Amino acid sequence: MPEIKLKHVVSCSTEDTTHKADNLLSSDTYRKWKAARPGEKQISVILQFEKEDQVHGIDIGNEGSAFIEVLVGNSSAVREQDYEVLLVTSSFMSPTESRNGTNMNRVRFFGPNQLQKSTSQEKWDRVKIVCSQPYSKNIAYGLAFVKFHSPPDKNDPPPTSSPKLTKLGQFRVKDESPSSGPSLQPGSLFFNRDNATKSNTSLKVSPQSDKMSYAAAALQASGSSHLSSQASSSSNSASPQPPAKRKFEFSKERQSAPGPPPSKKSPAVSPESKAATPKHKPSTPSPSTAKASPAQMSTDKKRESQSKPEPKPKPKGKSKSKQQVPFNRIMEGVVFVLSGFQNPFRGEVREKALDMGAKYRPDWTPDSTHLICAFANTPKYSQVKSAGGIIVRKEWVMDCHKRKQKISYKRYLMDGAESSSESEMEVDDESEEEMNTKIPQKQERQVTPRKTPVKRDEDEYAGSTDMDEPGGDDDDSAVDTEDELQRVEKESRQKKAAAGRAAVKEEDPYGGSTDENTDAEAEQDHPIPELPDFLSGKHFFLYGKFPNNERRLLLRYIVAFNGAIEDYMTEKVQFVVTSEGWHDSFEDALMENGNLNFVKPSWIYAINERQKMLPYQPYTVVPQ
Amino acid sequence: MSKRKAPQESLNEGITDFLVELANYEKNVNRAIHKYNAYRKAASTISKYPHKIKSGEEAKKLDGVGAKIAEKIDEFLQTGKLRKLEKIRNDDTSSSINFLTRVTGIGPAAARKFYEEGVKTLDDLKKIEHKLNHHQQIGLRYFEEFEKRIPRAEMEKMETLILGELNKIDTEYIGTICGSYRRGAASSGDIDILLTHPNYTSQTEKQPKLLHAVVDHLESIGFVTDTLSKGDTKFMGVCQLQQQRDEDEEEYLHRRIDIRLIPKDQYFCGVLYFTGSDIFNKNMRTHALEKGFTLNEYTIRPLGVTGVAGEPLLVDSERDIFEYIQYKYREPKDRSE
Repeated sequence: MPEIKLKHVVSCSTEDTTHKADNLLSSDTYRKWKAARPGEKQISVILQFEKEDQVHGIDIGNEGSAFIEVLVGNSSAVREQDYEVLLVTSSFMSPTESRNGTNMNRVRFFGPNQLQKSTSQEKWDRVKIVCSQPYSKNIAYGLAFVKFHSPPDKNDPPPTSSPKLTKLGQFRVKDESPSSGPSLQPGSLFFNRDNATKSNTSLKVSPQSDKMSYAAAALQASGSSHLSSQASSSSNSASPQPPAKRKFEFSKERQSAPGPPPSKKSPAVSPESKAATPKHKPSTPSPSTAKASPAQMSTDKKRESQSKPEPKPKPKGKSKSKQQVPFNRIMEGVVFVLSGFQNPFRGEVREKALDMGAKYRPDWTPDSTHLICAFANTPKYSQVKSAGGIIVRKEWVMDCHKRKQKISYKRYLMDGAESSSESEMEVDDESEEEMNTKIPQKQERQVTPRKTPVKRDEDEYAGSTDMDEPGGDDDDSAVDTEDELQRVEKESRQKKAAAGRAAVKEEDPYGGSTDENTDAEAEQDHPIPELPDFLSGKHFFLYGKFPNNERRLLLRYIVAFNGAIEDYMTEKVQFVVTSEGWHDSFEDALMENGNLNFVKPSWIYAINERQKMLPYQPYTVVPQ
Repeated sequence: MSKRKAPQESLNEGITDFLVELANYEKNVNRAIHKYNAYRKAASTISKYPHKIKSGEEAKKLDGVGAKIAEKIDEFLQTGKLRKLEKIRNDDTSSSINFLTRVTGIGPAAARKFYEEGVKTLDDLKKIEHKLNHHQQIGLRYFEEFEKRIPRAEMEKMETLILGELNKIDTEYIGTICGSYRRGAASSGDIDILLTHPNYTSQTEKQPKLLHAVVDHLESIGFVTDTLSKGDTKFMGVCQLQQQRDEDEEEYLHRRIDIRLIPKDQYFCGVLYFTGSDIFNKNMRTHALEKGFTLNEYTIRPLGVTGVAGEPLLVDSERDIFEYIQYKYREPKDRSE
């Protein structure tokens, strides 16, 4: 695991005259970085890497901080919000320890599994380290050392030995006994819980994350070794966890290319000791990932084969414009989960789906098929997305219910929600109408030479190409190239010649709405840096009903402009967007939160049109 | 937490009562949870106001009381009643729905559905008993008993019994009776037990056996009489103290009992949460946010500079949570708000 070389200190919020931030550049642990004065609430330092790289592991030696967070960015980024979290705020000293000045020099090692996945898989050239110590006004705190590691080279031999106790200058790093478990992975409490029910993990896990983590938490180590801690009861060590042994054996097996030996140059922390204390979360996806993939595929296949028989009892529908399915069986076979909806609407959606024969699960389970989501980026959304589930908008249920017929979920997909299995799974259900809506889209593509939409469209229908293609060949609709679409179009025209007309007409409104979605989705597909930050730091709540797809559109704009969406009417909310005019309940809401502003959707649209921040006042909603 | 909150006695009882009634109306009939919260908040601040309120103007100065509620207070003070409330009470829909939701297992949604099917009273419910689910049937069977509050003395008896039995099953069990009882309330609506075991943490597998062993044992001694639902981590049911032979008082009533199995590392956040009160919880969370932490019934986590929640902090007692967010520790009895 090669160490990433630090080039220089870009800036720091504060530094002691002797314990300068520059000290962090050298690996001598006796040279620290400390705040200029004791009692500063929060301090930060920004370091420049020699070259941009992926960060695979971080070692941090503490110097009196209670919490430490690590963010990453690029030198091109100047603003605060351009940094993204790599290591979530992690605890190094408990309040008691902080007050008593004990255990000030914990060392914690964070491996790939403890770093935020999305950020640890990209390359960065800057890190920002934020330390805080809210519990003591007397400590000038900071960092003793920090080291960053890039992903291991493939040729490096796996670590073999596991020294029990290593003395590193003034730090003692102790391998944890099997009884004290791996350190808490940030956020793992929730993640694990969810994972427990998830049978497999995302197929997309990069090879790196397959690697064994070398990270050991020194927290417990020092906690359990009772250095000078008086605060044994409230020491920061993580809660008891299952033995890490199991994991370790595992790692030896799997770890074809374990971390490279640490560079001899670093006197402080011997790489072996790091590599030798691999800790794994019981539920880390890594060990199972590689093997799981084939398994998952077969699961998908299974699902597919399960779902295939289903449509049979019903008319196969390819050339019939209407599928006659009993109302209470329209959604048979659908096992859905809801996310982001509030009651009473939540209940309404659920009831409608249940009426149509779907099954409901409060949380995503292996047998769940669809997530019905109010908007992207809910926790369930991310969970289901990585589990490869199908994510659709509520209109799917509403329209099926209203029209009392089975409509393919496909045109209700939420952006980017396609999974490798879905396109095959529901192929059989795809109706003629679906074909027709696709075609207009395609034509539009040909007319407008925009690149993104094309690509995206392909994705949308071609989610399976890389993985499951073999199974898809037997069905027209699973194939996604333009040629195929044209062929399908032709075929469908022939088939339908006369009888189909009515259906086409009927479907027209949908053609329209799909187009609209296409635009919105394309917008979100831009790389994030290109998106403006007009609404940064503002919290929004969308109230009431919005005509057509407006709600979705608004959500997209707000998210795109870096505004925050609140699912519920929380204290954070500053702007309530509504298209329904003044409502009595606003007054009550104002009572709770005097900072609320009620605005019309046109504000958001205006910002989008003018591409700049506009005052909201002209767009406020006032009592009649 | 019980289905109905016991009104606290105070100088302004009349006002707080009608606010709570309006709150319940908004929750049960209109399903407008924010209005419900707004009324609850106003009722709570008014209940701790040390003077008798003489006008809406005076009340308006209090946190959570705005123009509309002040208006209602004025009307109540001047006329002794409230037209809106009268209307609600006379309105068949809302009074029926409000009534139906008093049966455990019937929430606002089910109540509305029953109402639309013409089911409005207890007798109507009895007629369609076959259409009720198991939970609702039991709610119906024990309707009168569940409506009665549990005197503190009886709660204490149950606590002794339950903790004693836990010890018999496995000495390592830790159990806490939460809810208003833990806050020292003179009576409780139901009994809410949080259970944990050192072998069960958020890092281990779920261990439903730990919960089921307790439930089965309490059933075998005749304390738990019915089951409403039993999952891996939560049991909902009915319990009843056995009559002692030498006592010749009335039989004990059937009571609602919930038992939750919580991972050891999340236990104290759970105990804090389920001890409440809900208004205290809200305030404590707000304070936590001000200090840069997010607190929920499972964990407390620090927030980063960009607002990303950090790793769950180690918590070994309720006090630890207060300490993290630098909030003065409050004994359960002082946690009414």
